Amino acid sequence: MHAIKTEGLAKKYGKFEALRGVDLTVPEGSVFGLVGPNGAGKTTLIKALVGTLRPTSGAVRVLGLDPLKNRAELRESIGYMPQSPALYDDLPARENVRFFGAAHRVPDLGKKVGEVMEFAELSGRAKDPVHTFSGGMKRRVSLACALVHEPRMLFLDEPTAAVDPQLRSRFWKQFRELARNSGVTLFISTHLMDEAMLCDRVAILRRGEIIASETPKHILENGGVRLAMKRNGENIERRIGGRPEDLADALHGYGLARDIGAVSVEADTLEDVVLAIIGEEEKR
Amino acid sequence: MRVFTVAGRVVKQLLRNRRFLALSIFAPLVLVYFVKIFFDTFPEGFDVARYVVPIAAFLVHFLAFILCAITLVQERTAGTMERMFINGFRRVEIIGGYVLGFLGLATFQAVVVLAEAIWLFDLDYEAGTLATLFAVVWLLAIASVMLGIFVSTFARHEGQVFPFIPLIIVPSVFLSGLIVDVGELPEWAEWLGHVFPLFYANDVIQEVIEAGGVLEDVWGSFAILAGYGIVLLVLASLTLREVE
Repeated sequence: MHAIKTEGLAKKYGKFEALRGVDLTVPEGSVFGLVGPNGAGKTTLIKALVGTLRPTSGAVRVLGLDPLKNRAELRESIGYMPQSPALYDDLPARENVRFFGAAHRVPDLGKKVGEVMEFAELSGRAKDPVHTFSGGMKRRVSLACALVHEPRMLFLDEPTAAVDPQLRSRFWKQFRELARNSGVTLFISTHLMDEAMLCDRVAILRRGEIIASETPKHILENGGVRLAMKRNGENIERRIGGRPEDLADALHGYGLARDIGAVSVEADTLEDVVLAIIGEEEKR
Repeated sequence: MRVFTVAGRVVKQLLRNRRFLALSIFAPLVLVYFVKIFFDTFPEGFDVARYVVPIAAFLVHFLAFILCAITLVQERTAGTMERMFINGFRRVEIIGGYVLGFLGLATFQAVVVLAEAIWLFDLDYEAGTLATLFAVVWLLAIASVMLGIFVSTFARHEGQVFPFIPLIIVPSVFLSGLIVDVGELPEWAEWLGHVFPLFYANDVIQEVIEAGGVLEDVWGSFAILAGYGIVLLVLASLTLREVE
């Protein structure tokens, strides 16, 4: 079964078309990225999927249910982390998580709250009021609130916007962990393309339309690779296709063994390198 | 019962917000004292009693209304309202939770404001009259909480609550019999006065503090005041939007 299936999903605000016939299929148990610039309609789409927005036309199924008609049933199985922290600032972190857990009548709530607080690495400050927290910590509380009832499907609206690289990488580690260990389907919107690379599948939303929905690797193959070499003191620069086969083909001319049919190189990004340096410093 | 979950959270939040608490407790106390020094400037023999309890009732009405409306609108601006819905809370549970959560505050304000007014002005009412006065101010406070909830459903942010003050609260000062008898107003204004909950509260108060006043004569107003809250509650549960 598909976790999400939409057909011709559209939303108009007067003359403005926020969503223009979105067709989307999200496989269950995957980490699905929705990328697009600000104003592309990412939040509108998420709101239509979680049932807080009535589409102008089109069909939506989330976990096989209609988000509006089967609202109560669907909400037992989904978790939602909005773009803003959406927390009660005067209450301690733990009370926030407990409140949203109580909404779902989670059995043995106290224990479950302790578990998600630990998962979100908040146990040390569980009793502090949220208004004393940094932006990044508020995000972690917000994630804990979305997870407390063990949803089968998690919607995260730009969870890492304005979050430092360290917490960002921690978040993504947790997202992958949720998908791998608990089989949760994650639907994550972002405008950061390097994050999209971490998803199993990515849909690109532009002005309310999905213009591509593939694996990130596949999308990258539409791009090119700049090949730079030095031979006998001479600099050679070429632009070749983005597929591993294209790189192998290009290198055959420079003496690469013919039996190697595909070459791909994945260099660390600056962020990877900086994070590794920070990690080493912290170990000392 | 998830309505108690919401109510419990509202109460915890109120108790932890010191500025809010200070405003809701000290503001009415100070205001009642201002009323006292204001009436002290009046010549002796002036019928102060006719104004004291109605003005105290008005203060409770205004504060309970504005505090509740703003707290609820803050839920919308912070995104916690949407989060409550997505986590499965129903409209009735949210509204009911707010009513219960604010009931404590409204009761407290009704007791404190009435007690201070009666003490400062040295009003000598019988136990039965006192009980009726308290009941009426309490009912008014509840209606004000409901009014706050109802109004908050039309506001997207805190700033949009304020236009309702000149629309609802200020006119009620002049048209509810607080300052002048509604019977002396033009007929249309007298009818308009019937829209405000303060009108019914004032009607009961004037009757029971009058020498020889009988509660039976104003049962209707008493009932309407109680019904007012219920009608607003129903309206609020219809206007609170869950889906955009």
